[in-house]
Amino acid sequence: MSLLVLWYLGGVVAPESIPGVLATLDALVVVLTTPGPYGNMFYYHVWKTAEMLFVTLAVSMVLGTVVGVALGTNELLESAVSSWIYAWLAIPSLVIVFLSAVWIGFDARSGYFAVPAVITPFVALNMWEGARTLDPQLAEMAAFFDAGRYQTFTDVILPQLVPFLFASVRSALSIGWKITLLVEAFLVTRGVGFMFRRYFDQYDLTTMMSWLIIFVVLLVVIEYGILAPLHERVTAWRPDADGVRVTE
Amino acid sequence: MTVAEENREDAPGEGAGDPLELRDIVKYYEKPGQGRVLVLDEIDLVVEEGAFVSLLGPSGCGKTTLMNVVAGLVEPNAGTMRRGGRDVSPEDLSLGYIFQEPRLLDWKTVAGNLEFALEARDVPESEWDERIERYLSMVGLADEGDNYPSRLSGGMKQRVAIARALATEPEILLMDEPFSSLDEITARDLREELLDIWQREQKTVLFVTHDINEAAFLSDYIYMMSHGGEMFARREVGIDRPRNYDDPAIAQRETELYREFHEHVVK
Repeated sequence: MSLLVLWYLGGVVAPESIPGVLATLDALVVVLTTPGPYGNMFYYHVWKTAEMLFVTLAVSMVLGTVVGVALGTNELLESAVSSWIYAWLAIPSLVIVFLSAVWIGFDARSGYFAVPAVITPFVALNMWEGARTLDPQLAEMAAFFDAGRYQTFTDVILPQLVPFLFASVRSALSIGWKITLLVEAFLVTRGVGFMFRRYFDQYDLTTMMSWLIIFVVLLVVIEYGILAPLHERVTAWRPDADGVRVTE
Repeated sequence: MTVAEENREDAPGEGAGDPLELRDIVKYYEKPGQGRVLVLDEIDLVVEEGAFVSLLGPSGCGKTTLMNVVAGLVEPNAGTMRRGGRDVSPEDLSLGYIFQEPRLLDWKTVAGNLEFALEARDVPESEWDERIERYLSMVGLADEGDNYPSRLSGGMKQRVAIARALATEPEILLMDEPFSSLDEITARDLREELLDIWQREQKTVLFVTHDINEAAFLSDYIYMMSHGGEMFARREVGIDRPRNYDDPAIAQRETELYREFHEHVVK
Protein backbone atom coordinates (compact mmCIF):
# COMPACT_ATOMS: atom_id res chain seq x y z
CA MET A 1 0.00 0.00 0.00
CA SER A 2 2.77 2.42 0.95
CA LEU A 3 4.53 1.36 -2.24
CA LEU A 4 1.46 2.41 -4.20
CA VAL A 5 1.48 5.81 -2.50
CA LEU A 6 5.19 6.21 -3.28
CA TRP A 7 4.54 5.29 -6.90
CA TYR A 8 1.68 7.82 -7.08
CA LEU A 9 3.84 10.59 -5.61
CA GLY A 10 6.69 9.68 -7.98
CA GLY A 11 4.33 9.97 -10.91
CA VAL A 12 3.28 13.44 -9.76
CA VAL A 13 6.81 14.73 -9.04
CA ALA A 14 8.66 13.19 -12.02
CA PRO A 15 6.09 12.31 -14.68
CA GLU A 16 8.75 11.97 -17.40
CA SER A 17 10.46 8.99 -15.69
CA ILE A 18 7.67 7.47 -13.61
CA PRO A 19 4.28 6.87 -15.25
CA GLY A 20 1.28 7.96 -13.22
CA VAL A 21 -0.86 5.41 -11.43
CA LEU A 22 -4.09 6.38 -13.12
CA ALA A 23 -2.50 6.56 -16.59
CA THR A 24 -1.08 3.08 -16.05
CA LEU A 25 -4.48 1.77 -15.05
CA ASP A 26 -5.92 3.23 -18.24
CA ALA A 27 -3.16 1.58 -20.28
CA LEU A 28 -3.78 -1.67 -18.45
CA VAL A 29 -7.42 -1.59 -19.45
CA VAL A 30 -6.42 -0.92 -23.07
CA VAL A 31 -3.94 -3.82 -23.02
CA LEU A 32 -6.43 -6.17 -21.41
CA THR A 33 -9.24 -5.37 -23.86
CA THR A 34 -7.40 -4.98 -27.17
CA PRO A 35 -8.37 -7.86 -29.44
CA GLY A 36 -5.63 -10.18 -30.68
CA PRO A 37 -5.11 -13.50 -32.47
CA TYR A 38 -6.59 -15.60 -29.65
CA GLY A 39 -9.28 -13.62 -27.91
CA ASN A 40 -7.40 -10.69 -26.42
CA MET A 41 -3.90 -9.53 -27.27
CA PHE A 42 -2.60 -9.72 -23.72
CA TYR A 43 -3.74 -13.31 -23.48
CA TYR A 44 -1.74 -14.34 -26.56
CA HIS A 45 1.51 -12.70 -25.42
CA VAL A 46 1.27 -13.78 -21.81
CA TRP A 47 0.46 -17.30 -22.96
CA LYS A 48 3.50 -17.42 -25.27
CA THR A 49 5.79 -16.16 -22.51
CA ALA A 50 4.32 -18.55 -19.94
CA GLU A 51 4.64 -21.43 -22.39
CA MET A 52 8.36 -20.82 -22.91
CA LEU A 53 8.89 -20.19 -19.21
CA PHE A 54 7.21 -23.38 -17.97
CA VAL A 55 8.46 -25.75 -20.64
CA THR A 56 12.02 -24.62 -20.05
CA LEU A 57 11.46 -24.68 -16.29
CA ALA A 58 10.35 -28.32 -16.46
CA VAL A 59 13.33 -29.27 -18.61
CA SER A 60 15.75 -27.48 -16.29
CA MET A 61 14.25 -29.02 -13.15
CA VAL A 62 14.68 -32.54 -14.50
CA LEU A 63 18.17 -31.95 -15.88
CA GLY A 64 19.35 -29.97 -12.86
CA THR A 65 17.99 -32.53 -10.39
CA VAL A 66 19.67 -35.42 -12.18
CA VAL A 67 23.00 -33.57 -12.42
CA GLY A 68 22.78 -32.25 -8.85
CA VAL A 69 21.88 -35.57 -7.22
CA ALA A 70 24.55 -37.33 -9.26
CA LEU A 71 27.12 -34.79 -8.07
CA GLY A 72 26.02 -35.01 -4.45
CA THR A 73 26.11 -38.79 -4.30
CA ASN A 74 29.16 -39.59 -6.43
CA GLU A 75 32.48 -38.22 -5.21
CA LEU A 76 34.36 -39.09 -8.38
CA LEU A 77 31.88 -37.16 -10.50
CA GLU A 78 31.87 -34.33 -7.99
CA SER A 79 35.62 -33.77 -8.20
CA ALA A 80 35.55 -34.03 -12.01
CA VAL A 81 32.55 -31.86 -12.82
CA SER A 82 32.01 -29.40 -9.96
CA SER A 83 34.40 -26.72 -11.28
CA TRP A 84 32.56 -26.80 -14.63
CA ILE A 85 29.30 -25.94 -12.89
CA TYR A 86 30.88 -22.82 -11.41
CA ALA A 87 32.36 -21.90 -14.81
CA TRP A 88 28.93 -22.37 -16.38
CA LEU A 89 27.35 -20.14 -13.73
CA ALA A 90 29.92 -17.45 -14.51
CA ILE A 91 28.82 -17.07 -18.17
CA PRO A 92 26.58 -13.99 -18.43
CA SER A 93 23.05 -14.90 -19.48
CA LEU A 94 23.11 -12.20 -22.15
CA VAL A 95 26.06 -13.95 -23.81
CA ILE A 96 24.16 -17.26 -23.75
CA VAL A 97 21.15 -15.62 -25.39
CA PHE A 98 23.29 -14.02 -28.12
CA LEU A 99 25.22 -17.23 -28.72
CA SER A 100 22.05 -19.30 -29.09
CA ALA A 101 20.73 -16.74 -31.60
CA VAL A 102 23.92 -17.14 -33.65
CA TRP A 103 23.90 -20.93 -33.37
CA ILE A 104 20.21 -21.64 -33.73
CA GLY A 105 18.57 -18.61 -35.28
CA PHE A 106 16.43 -15.60 -34.51
CA ASP A 107 13.34 -17.51 -33.43
CA ALA A 108 11.71 -19.22 -30.46
CA ARG A 109 13.91 -22.32 -30.73
CA SER A 110 16.85 -20.29 -29.45
CA GLY A 111 14.79 -19.47 -26.40
CA TYR A 112 14.07 -23.10 -25.69
CA PHE A 113 17.80 -23.65 -25.71
CA ALA A 114 18.98 -20.47 -23.99
CA VAL A 115 16.62 -20.45 -20.99
CA PRO A 116 17.43 -24.01 -19.79
CA ALA A 117 21.11 -23.30 -20.51
CA VAL A 118 20.96 -20.41 -18.06
CA ILE A 119 18.82 -21.86 -15.26
CA THR A 120 19.86 -25.54 -15.19
CA PRO A 121 23.12 -24.85 -13.29
CA PHE A 122 21.18 -22.95 -10.62
CA VAL A 123 18.93 -25.96 -10.12
CA ALA A 124 21.88 -28.33 -10.21
CA LEU A 125 23.73 -26.29 -7.58
CA ASN A 126 20.69 -26.35 -5.31
CA MET A 127 20.01 -30.07 -5.69
CA TRP A 128 23.71 -30.81 -5.28
CA GLU A 129 23.56 -29.08 -1.93
CA GLY A 130 20.42 -31.07 -1.13
CA ALA A 131 21.93 -34.41 -2.10
CA ARG A 132 24.79 -33.77 0.32
CA THR A 133 22.33 -33.59 3.21
CA LEU A 134 20.82 -37.03 2.48
CA ASP A 135 20.80 -39.16 5.63
CA PRO A 136 23.16 -42.16 5.25
CA GLN A 137 21.40 -43.91 8.15
CA LEU A 138 18.10 -43.96 6.25
CA ALA A 139 19.94 -45.23 3.18
CA GLU A 140 21.36 -48.07 5.30
CA MET A 141 17.91 -48.83 6.70
CA ALA A 142 16.43 -49.00 3.19
CA ALA A 143 19.30 -51.22 2.04
CA PHE A 144 18.79 -53.55 4.98
CA PHE A 145 15.11 -54.01 4.20
CA ASP A 146 16.07 -54.71 0.55
CA ALA A 147 14.19 -51.71 -0.86
CA GLY A 148 14.71 -51.50 -4.62
CA ARG A 149 16.15 -48.50 -6.46
CA TYR A 150 12.74 -47.11 -7.39
CA GLN A 151 11.26 -47.47 -3.91
CA THR A 152 14.39 -46.01 -2.34
CA PHE A 153 14.22 -43.02 -4.69
CA THR A 154 10.53 -42.24 -4.24
CA ASP A 155 10.15 -43.08 -0.53
CA VAL A 156 13.55 -42.21 0.93
CA ILE A 157 15.55 -39.85 -1.31
CA LEU A 158 12.93 -37.61 -2.94
CA PRO A 159 11.13 -36.64 0.31
CA GLN A 160 14.44 -35.51 1.79
CA LEU A 161 14.99 -33.27 -1.24
CA VAL A 162 11.56 -31.58 -1.13
CA PRO A 163 12.77 -28.31 0.47
CA PHE A 164 15.54 -28.09 -2.12
CA LEU A 165 13.13 -28.84 -4.96
CA PHE A 166 10.90 -25.96 -3.92
CA ALA A 167 13.84 -23.60 -3.49
CA SER A 168 15.00 -24.64 -6.97
CA VAL A 169 11.61 -24.07 -8.60
CA ARG A 170 11.34 -20.64 -7.03
CA SER A 171 14.77 -19.43 -8.05
CA ALA A 172 14.52 -21.06 -11.50
CA LEU A 173 11.14 -19.40 -12.03
CA SER A 174 12.39 -15.93 -11.16
CA ILE A 175 15.60 -16.21 -13.15
CA GLY A 176 13.89 -18.04 -16.00
CA TRP A 177 11.31 -15.33 -16.47
CA LYS A 178 14.01 -12.69 -16.83
CA ILE A 179 15.86 -14.75 -19.43
CA THR A 180 12.62 -15.47 -21.27
CA LEU A 181 12.05 -11.71 -21.51
CA LEU A 182 15.58 -11.18 -22.84
CA VAL A 183 14.98 -13.79 -25.53
CA GLU A 184 11.65 -12.28 -26.46
CA ALA A 185 13.01 -8.74 -26.51
CA PHE A 186 15.95 -9.61 -28.75
CA LEU A 187 14.99 -12.59 -30.85
CA VAL A 188 11.25 -12.97 -31.41
CA THR A 189 8.16 -10.92 -32.18
CA ARG A 190 5.71 -12.16 -29.58
CA GLY A 191 5.50 -12.50 -25.83
CA VAL A 192 5.70 -10.05 -22.95
CA GLY A 193 9.40 -9.37 -23.61
CA PHE A 194 8.60 -8.29 -27.17
CA MET A 195 5.87 -6.01 -25.81
CA PHE A 196 8.41 -4.38 -23.51
CA ARG A 197 10.74 -3.71 -26.43
CA ARG A 198 7.98 -2.44 -28.65
CA TYR A 199 6.74 0.07 -26.11
CA PHE A 200 10.29 0.92 -25.11
CA ASP A 201 11.00 1.82 -28.75
CA GLN A 202 7.94 4.10 -28.62
CA TYR A 203 9.07 5.38 -25.21
CA ASP A 204 5.65 4.41 -23.85
CA LEU A 205 6.53 3.86 -20.21
CA THR A 206 2.88 3.66 -19.15
CA THR A 207 2.10 0.65 -21.32
CA MET A 208 5.37 -1.03 -20.33
CA MET A 209 4.33 -0.61 -16.73
CA SER A 210 0.93 -2.18 -17.36
CA TRP A 211 2.58 -5.23 -18.98
CA LEU A 212 4.91 -5.49 -16.01
CA ILE A 213 1.90 -5.48 -13.69
CA ILE A 214 0.22 -8.29 -15.64
CA PHE A 215 3.21 -10.59 -15.40
CA VAL A 216 4.11 -9.80 -11.80
CA VAL A 217 0.51 -10.57 -10.85
CA LEU A 218 0.77 -13.85 -12.74
CA LEU A 219 3.95 -14.86 -10.87
CA VAL A 220 2.47 -13.91 -7.51
CA VAL A 221 -0.63 -15.98 -8.32
CA ILE A 222 1.60 -18.94 -9.18
CA GLU A 223 3.45 -18.59 -5.88
CA TYR A 224 0.42 -18.24 -3.63
CA GLY A 225 -2.02 -20.23 -5.75
CA ILE A 226 0.16 -23.21 -6.62
CA LEU A 227 3.61 -23.35 -5.02
CA ALA A 228 2.80 -22.34 -1.44
CA PRO A 229 -0.26 -24.65 -1.03
CA LEU A 230 1.64 -27.50 -2.67
CA HIS A 231 4.61 -26.95 -0.38
CA GLU A 232 2.31 -26.93 2.62
CA ARG A 233 0.67 -30.16 1.49
CA VAL A 234 3.80 -32.19 0.94
CA THR A 235 5.35 -31.04 4.22
CA ALA A 236 2.23 -31.67 6.31
CA TRP A 237 4.17 -34.31 8.26
CA ARG A 238 6.47 -31.74 9.81
CA PRO A 239 6.07 -31.38 13.58
CA ASP A 240 5.30 -27.64 13.44
CA ALA A 241 2.25 -28.21 11.24
CA ASP A 242 -1.07 -27.36 12.92
CA GLY A 243 0.90 -26.05 15.88
CA VAL A 244 1.36 -29.60 17.16
CA ARG A 245 4.24 -29.94 19.55
CA VAL A 246 6.64 -32.81 19.65
CA THR A 247 6.23 -34.81 22.82
CA GLU A 248 9.84 -35.62 23.53
CA MET B 1 15.51 -71.96 29.24
CA THR B 2 13.02 -73.96 27.29
CA VAL B 3 12.17 -71.61 24.48
CA ALA B 4 15.07 -72.74 22.33
CA GLU B 5 13.90 -76.32 22.39
CA GLU B 6 10.32 -75.69 21.40
CA ASN B 7 9.27 -76.68 17.95
CA ARG B 8 8.75 -74.03 15.35
CA GLU B 9 5.88 -74.83 13.07
CA ASP B 10 6.56 -72.09 10.59
CA ALA B 11 10.34 -72.39 10.57
CA PRO B 12 11.40 -70.62 7.37
CA GLY B 13 14.57 -71.06 5.36
CA GLU B 14 16.92 -73.94 5.21
CA GLY B 15 18.79 -74.96 8.32
CA ALA B 16 16.26 -73.32 10.61
CA GLY B 17 16.46 -74.86 14.04
CA ASP B 18 20.22 -75.10 13.86
CA PRO B 19 22.40 -72.49 15.54
CA LEU B 20 23.96 -69.76 13.43
CA GLU B 21 27.73 -70.07 13.70
CA LEU B 22 30.30 -67.44 12.82
CA ARG B 23 33.90 -68.64 12.54
CA ASP B 24 37.12 -66.61 12.46
CA ILE B 25 35.47 -63.41 11.31
CA VAL B 26 38.09 -60.77 10.50
CA LYS B 27 37.40 -57.18 9.52
CA TYR B 28 39.91 -54.40 9.10
CA TYR B 29 39.92 -50.98 7.48
CA GLU B 30 42.81 -49.35 5.69
CA LYS B 31 43.24 -45.89 7.13
CA PRO B 32 45.59 -43.43 5.46
CA GLY B 33 48.57 -42.77 7.73
CA GLN B 34 47.58 -45.44 10.25
CA GLY B 35 47.83 -48.53 8.11
CA ARG B 36 45.51 -51.39 8.87
CA VAL B 37 43.01 -50.92 11.71
CA LEU B 38 41.66 -54.19 13.04
CA VAL B 39 37.97 -54.06 13.97
CA LEU B 40 37.13 -57.76 14.33
CA ASP B 41 39.92 -60.13 15.34
CA GLU B 42 39.05 -63.73 14.43
CA ILE B 43 35.66 -63.71 16.08
CA ASP B 44 33.74 -66.90 16.82
CA LEU B 45 30.07 -66.54 17.66
CA VAL B 46 27.22 -69.01 18.10
CA VAL B 47 23.64 -67.79 18.07
CA GLU B 48 21.37 -70.56 19.33
CA GLU B 49 17.90 -70.85 17.88
CA GLY B 50 15.40 -69.00 20.06
CA ALA B 51 18.05 -67.61 22.36
CA PHE B 52 18.57 -64.05 23.57
CA VAL B 53 22.23 -63.39 22.89
CA SER B 54 24.06 -60.19 23.79
CA LEU B 55 27.28 -58.72 22.46
CA LEU B 56 28.65 -56.68 25.34
CA GLY B 57 31.61 -54.34 25.24
CA PRO B 58 32.78 -50.73 25.46
CA SER B 59 32.10 -48.23 22.69
CA GLY B 60 34.24 -48.78 19.63
CA CYS B 61 35.03 -52.44 20.35
CA GLY B 62 33.53 -53.61 17.05
CA LYS B 63 30.27 -55.13 18.34
CA THR B 64 28.09 -53.17 15.92
CA THR B 65 30.41 -54.10 13.07
CA LEU B 66 30.05 -57.74 14.04
CA MET B 67 26.28 -57.46 13.95
CA ASN B 68 26.44 -55.70 10.59
CA VAL B 69 28.41 -58.67 9.28
CA VAL B 70 25.46 -60.87 10.23
CA ALA B 71 23.08 -58.31 8.69
CA GLY B 72 25.03 -58.20 5.44
CA LEU B 73 25.73 -54.48 5.76
CA VAL B 74 29.47 -55.11 6.30
CA GLU B 75 31.50 -57.54 4.22
CA PRO B 76 34.12 -59.32 6.39
CA ASN B 77 37.68 -59.73 5.09
CA ALA B 78 37.79 -63.33 6.26
CA GLY B 79 35.70 -65.90 8.07
CA THR B 80 32.60 -67.96 7.46
CA MET B 81 29.00 -68.00 8.56
CA ARG B 82 27.53 -71.49 8.82
CA ARG B 83 24.27 -73.08 9.76
CA GLY B 84 23.33 -76.74 9.88
CA GLY B 85 26.66 -77.71 8.34
CA ARG B 86 26.31 -75.36 5.37
CA ASP B 87 27.80 -72.00 4.53
CA VAL B 88 25.16 -69.29 4.61
CA SER B 89 25.16 -65.66 3.55
CA PRO B 90 23.06 -62.88 5.12
CA GLU B 91 20.57 -63.17 2.24
CA ASP B 92 19.78 -66.74 3.32
CA LEU B 93 18.77 -65.57 6.78
CA SER B 94 15.46 -64.12 7.83
CA LEU B 95 16.48 -60.96 9.66
CA GLY B 96 14.95 -57.87 11.22
CA TYR B 97 17.07 -54.90 12.32
CA ILE B 98 16.33 -52.39 15.06
CA PHE B 99 18.89 -49.63 14.94
CA GLN B 100 20.15 -47.42 17.73
CA GLU B 101 18.08 -44.59 16.25
CA PRO B 102 14.50 -45.32 15.13
CA ARG B 103 15.43 -44.44 11.51
CA LEU B 104 11.82 -43.85 10.55
CA LEU B 105 10.68 -42.06 7.41
CA ASP B 106 9.26 -38.91 8.99
CA TRP B 107 7.14 -38.11 5.91
CA LYS B 108 5.23 -41.37 6.18
CA THR B 109 2.66 -42.24 8.80
CA VAL B 110 3.43 -44.89 11.39
CA ALA B 111 1.51 -47.45 9.31
CA GLY B 112 3.26 -46.12 6.18
CA ASN B 113 6.63 -46.88 7.76
CA LEU B 114 5.59 -50.49 8.28
CA GLU B 115 4.29 -50.61 4.73
CA PHE B 116 7.68 -49.42 3.50
CA ALA B 117 9.35 -52.50 4.98
CA LEU B 118 6.57 -54.84 3.82
CA GLU B 119 6.80 -53.51 0.26
CA ALA B 120 10.60 -53.72 0.29
CA ARG B 121 10.40 -57.34 1.45
CA ASP B 122 7.80 -58.18 -1.23
CA VAL B 123 5.09 -59.13 1.25
CA PRO B 124 1.78 -59.44 -0.68
CA GLU B 125 -0.30 -56.29 -0.28
CA SER B 126 -3.30 -58.31 0.89
CA GLU B 127 -1.45 -59.14 4.11
CA TRP B 128 -0.36 -55.60 4.95
CA ASP B 129 -3.36 -54.39 6.94
CA GLU B 130 -3.49 -57.47 9.10
CA ARG B 131 0.23 -57.40 9.84
CA ILE B 132 0.28 -53.67 10.55
CA GLU B 133 -2.59 -54.03 13.00
CA ARG B 134 -1.07 -57.05 14.67
CA TYR B 135 2.42 -55.65 15.19
CA LEU B 136 1.36 -52.13 16.10
CA SER B 137 -0.86 -53.55 18.84
CA MET B 138 2.00 -55.78 19.92
CA VAL B 139 4.12 -52.72 20.70
CA GLY B 140 1.13 -50.87 22.18
CA LEU B 141 0.63 -48.38 19.32
CA ALA B 142 -2.61 -49.72 17.84
CA ASP B 143 -4.12 -46.22 17.70
CA GLU B 144 -1.12 -44.44 16.22
CA GLY B 145 -1.18 -45.90 12.71
CA ASP B 146 -2.30 -42.64 11.08
CA ASN B 147 -0.02 -40.42 13.13
CA TYR B 148 3.31 -39.07 11.94
CA PRO B 149 6.53 -40.17 13.70
CA SER B 150 7.55 -36.56 14.34
CA ARG B 151 4.62 -36.29 16.76
CA LEU B 152 5.69 -39.29 18.82
CA SER B 153 8.08 -39.43 21.77
CA GLY B 154 11.48 -41.10 21.49
CA GLY B 155 10.24 -44.28 23.15
CA MET B 156 7.20 -44.49 20.88
CA LYS B 157 9.38 -44.00 17.80
CA GLN B 158 11.55 -46.91 18.90
CA ARG B 159 8.39 -48.99 19.36
CA VAL B 160 7.47 -48.21 15.75
CA ALA B 161 10.95 -49.35 14.69
CA ILE B 162 10.42 -52.60 16.61
CA ALA B 163 7.01 -53.09 14.97
CA ARG B 164 8.58 -52.42 11.56
CA ALA B 165 11.19 -55.12 12.14
CA LEU B 166 8.59 -57.57 13.49
CA ALA B 167 6.20 -56.91 10.60
CA THR B 168 8.55 -58.59 8.15
CA GLU B 169 8.28 -61.63 10.47
CA PRO B 170 11.98 -62.36 10.74
CA GLU B 171 13.44 -65.34 12.51
CA ILE B 172 16.31 -63.39 14.03
CA LEU B 173 16.02 -59.87 15.42
CA LEU B 174 19.20 -57.81 15.34
CA MET B 175 19.15 -54.98 17.87
CA ASP B 176 21.90 -52.38 18.09
CA GLU B 177 21.72 -50.57 21.45
CA PRO B 178 18.06 -49.83 20.74
CA PHE B 179 17.31 -48.36 24.16
CA SER B 180 20.54 -46.45 24.81
CA SER B 181 19.18 -43.07 23.79
CA LEU B 182 16.00 -43.39 25.86
CA ASP B 183 15.51 -42.32 29.43
CA GLU B 184 15.90 -45.12 31.96
CA ILE B 185 12.20 -45.39 32.86
CA THR B 186 11.11 -45.70 29.23
CA ALA B 187 13.99 -48.08 28.53
CA ARG B 188 13.00 -50.40 31.39
CA ASP B 189 9.41 -50.64 30.20
CA LEU B 190 10.59 -51.42 26.69
CA ARG B 191 13.05 -54.08 27.88
CA GLU B 192 10.31 -55.92 29.74
CA GLU B 193 8.00 -55.70 26.75
CA LEU B 194 10.78 -56.91 24.48
CA LEU B 195 11.22 -60.01 26.64
CA ASP B 196 7.48 -60.65 26.47
CA ILE B 197 7.46 -60.38 22.68
CA TRP B 198 10.60 -62.48 22.35
CA GLN B 199 9.11 -65.32 24.36
CA ARG B 200 5.63 -65.14 22.85
CA GLU B 201 6.83 -64.90 19.25
CA GLN B 202 9.74 -67.30 19.72
CA LYS B 203 12.27 -65.06 18.06
CA THR B 204 16.01 -65.31 18.23
CA VAL B 205 17.58 -62.03 19.36
CA LEU B 206 21.12 -60.80 18.82
CA PHE B 207 21.46 -57.72 21.01
CA VAL B 208 24.34 -55.25 21.04
CA THR B 209 24.87 -53.20 24.21
CA HIS B 210 27.49 -51.51 26.37
CA ASP B 211 25.20 -51.66 29.42
CA ILE B 212 26.19 -54.61 31.63
CA ASN B 213 22.98 -54.45 33.66
CA GLU B 214 20.86 -54.47 30.52
CA ALA B 215 22.75 -57.49 29.16
CA ALA B 216 22.39 -59.37 32.46
CA PHE B 217 18.66 -58.65 32.66
CA LEU B 218 17.87 -59.60 29.06
CA SER B 219 20.22 -62.31 27.90
CA ASP B 220 20.53 -66.06 28.02
CA TYR B 221 24.24 -65.71 27.37
CA ILE B 222 26.63 -62.89 26.72
CA TYR B 223 29.66 -62.51 24.48
CA MET B 224 32.18 -60.09 25.92
CA MET B 225 34.31 -57.95 23.66
CA SER B 226 37.13 -55.52 24.32
CA HIS B 227 38.98 -52.93 22.25
CA GLY B 228 40.65 -54.02 19.05
CA GLY B 229 37.81 -56.32 18.07
CA GLU B 230 38.80 -59.05 20.49
CA MET B 231 36.15 -61.37 21.87
CA PHE B 232 37.41 -62.81 25.13
CA ALA B 233 34.58 -64.66 26.83
CA ARG B 234 31.16 -66.23 26.56
CA ARG B 235 29.19 -66.26 29.80
CA GLU B 236 25.82 -67.76 30.64
CA VAL B 237 23.60 -65.48 32.70
CA GLY B 238 21.90 -68.42 34.38
CA ILE B 239 19.04 -66.59 36.08
CA ASP B 240 15.53 -68.05 35.83
CA ARG B 241 12.83 -66.26 33.88
CA PRO B 242 10.65 -64.34 34.29
CA ARG B 243 13.25 -62.05 35.70
CA ASN B 244 12.69 -59.12 37.98
CA TYR B 245 14.63 -55.89 37.77
CA ASP B 246 15.08 -55.79 41.54
CA ASP B 247 16.37 -59.35 41.73
CA PRO B 248 19.68 -59.21 43.65
CA ALA B 249 20.91 -62.06 41.45
CA ILE B 250 20.99 -59.69 38.48
CA ALA B 251 22.96 -57.07 40.38
CA GLN B 252 25.28 -59.84 41.53
CA ARG B 253 25.80 -61.05 37.95
CA GLU B 254 26.40 -57.48 36.81
CA THR B 255 29.16 -57.07 39.41
CA GLU B 256 30.84 -60.31 38.36
CA LEU B 257 30.73 -59.41 34.69
CA TYR B 258 32.07 -55.94 35.39
CA ARG B 259 34.96 -57.39 37.40
CA GLU B 260 35.79 -59.69 34.55
CA PHE B 261 35.85 -56.78 32.10
CA HIS B 262 38.01 -54.77 34.44
CA GLU B 263 40.53 -57.54 34.98
CA HIS B 264 40.71 -58.25 31.30
CA VAL B 265 41.38 -54.66 30.40
CA VAL B 266 43.89 -54.02 33.21
CA LYS B 267 45.78 -57.28 32.72
